Amino acid sequence: MTDRTIAVDYLARVEGEGALRVRIHDRSVEEVELKIFEPPRFFEAFLRGRSYLEAPDITARICGICPVAYQMSACHAMERGLGLTVSPAVRALRRLLYCGEWIESHALHVYLLHLPDFLGYPDAIRMAKEHRGAVEKGLALKKVGNAIMSLLGGREIHPVNVRVGGFYRCPSREELETLRPQIVTALGLAEETVRLTAGLPFPSVEEEYEFVSLRHPEEYPMNEGDIVSSRGLRIPVDRFEEEFEEFQVPHSHALHARRRNGGSYLVGSMARYALNRDRLLPKADAIAREVGLEPVVRNPYRSIVVRAVETVQACEDALRILDAYRPPDRPWVEPTGALKPGACVAATEAPRGLLFHRYRLDATGLIQEARIVPPTSQNQKRIEDDVRDVVGRSLDLDEAGLTTECERAIRNHDPCISCATHFLTLDLVRSGGP
Amino acid sequence: MTDPRAGGDSRDGAAAPAVVIGLGTEHRGDDSVGLLVARALRTRLAPPGAVLERSAEGTELLDLWDGRDLVVVVDAVQGGGAPGTVLRFEVGGEPLPAPLSATSTHGISLAQAVALGQTLNRLPRRLVIYGIEASAFAPGSDASPAVAGAVEPVARMVEEEFRRHGGLDRGATPGGPADA
Repeated sequence: MTDRTIAVDYLARVEGEGALRVRIHDRSVEEVELKIFEPPRFFEAFLRGRSYLEAPDITARICGICPVAYQMSACHAMERGLGLTVSPAVRALRRLLYCGEWIESHALHVYLLHLPDFLGYPDAIRMAKEHRGAVEKGLALKKVGNAIMSLLGGREIHPVNVRVGGFYRCPSREELETLRPQIVTALGLAEETVRLTAGLPFPSVEEEYEFVSLRHPEEYPMNEGDIVSSRGLRIPVDRFEEEFEEFQVPHSHALHARRRNGGSYLVGSMARYALNRDRLLPKADAIAREVGLEPVVRNPYRSIVVRAVETVQACEDALRILDAYRPPDRPWVEPTGALKPGACVAATEAPRGLLFHRYRLDATGLIQEARIVPPTSQNQKRIEDDVRDVVGRSLDLDEAGLTTECERAIRNHDPCISCATHFLTLDLVRSGGP
Repeated sequence: MTDPRAGGDSRDGAAAPAVVIGLGTEHRGDDSVGLLVARALRTRLAPPGAVLERSAEGTELLDLWDGRDLVVVVDAVQGGGAPGTVLRFEVGGEPLPAPLSATSTHGISLAQAVALGQTLNRLPRRLVIYGIEASAFAPGSDASPAVAGAVEPVARMVEEEFRRHGGLDRGATPGGPADA
């Protein structure tokens, strides 16, 4: 028997960096290990002793791509614990801000990170030489997301305008209206994106996912709702830790997550869509029907179409919010009287999936304990399962081909490893015969 | 030209004013050095919008570059040199030299953003990159002494870039972009 090793030092086109190790013996996949570091663990320690008011800004630093998600989970957790209710206008503005982040994040992944896999290019730069229009479209779409985040957040990447209880300042109706022409354009671009992605060649693969996302009584989920799963689970967010557990694995600094007494699960756009297909707004629903997108997508490669549909949803939602917006009387609310904090728990839908925060405060509002469970940590085990399946199906490929397939399997889930790590390297070890 | 891709901080009309963009991540040791240089320059360069701080996500840079005469980008790099070593490169038609390609990344790195800008003709007229060799990225730490020591020298070099370009004088002109 011969040993064969494939090592790739850099896995491109995922957010941040990490490492993947695959070991194959004869024709069996012995080991798949996704290794990532985990700043959230550091941030949990960093938050201790800080005021509850600082949590949104501090946690927003965890990820350069989805700072809004961290702010939203932190704000909602604190407000639930402190018994604060924000005004409907603030609630709507937060949803609009989140729409901006979804548009920005999905446009980046769909066009610049994921599309090259389908068109056969190693990266967006080489793809841009022959598909300039597609890349320009992606950049234009992403820029509209940035514009929304910039207006409501003060800065494109790390919004600083959000606070517990509301916003430091709320925009006037006129200010918000300046976004309308851009969002109308973005909606059209997003619809084109759905048509473009739906026409891509997809490997015919179906995975048995347990999907997990929020579900809201009326809306496609973002900031509120129960946690539901495709295997019938339905719990309020404060029971998250009863049903889902994080566990240490020797090969990674990051904790992995699984269902208690169960296996891996998947959060993110595929899960949201599968569990909330009936909550799409009319245009998003119509375009999904037009391209024949199945109500539950189990082919991970087709997640690119789901992200495109969610981009339509976010643009459409943003326009509805603009239509109805009236500035609130007060931009934020504060706790009155003595603090009597209960459990400060929330989960919101980051572009990459469920982001859980839990805090314990003392009577002066200082954070005693923080728990942050980012979507990529939750998906790690499931991504390993996908890689295991793809390697098992692709054993006859040469090393380069197999490596490409592994990378694609990871990119399908848009892992935000920057929430968790800095460098992703791929190490493929084969022993036995090919 | 009503180009929808015009720079995010630019105004309509002629070329947008020169900017320096400090790239980096807070609370990640030496990775914050680009931000530190930007902060050192905040009150020293005019107009006020001439200094930007960003976490590195390359595609946003394309929007910030577009239509400008001069852009200076400052970022941490891992090129194998001694921490605090300063590299300067003016972007032309060729790819970034290897040490500057090793900047910290998100999905699209600085080097990829430059390459994308070259492909899409979306570079500023002059793009100057300062890379500061960095080595320590522990979460929660500040920039190491060697790297922090490069902040002021690089800030002075960037000031000099602006001075040669005329940005300092132009920014102070009444009715100029400083009033925006």
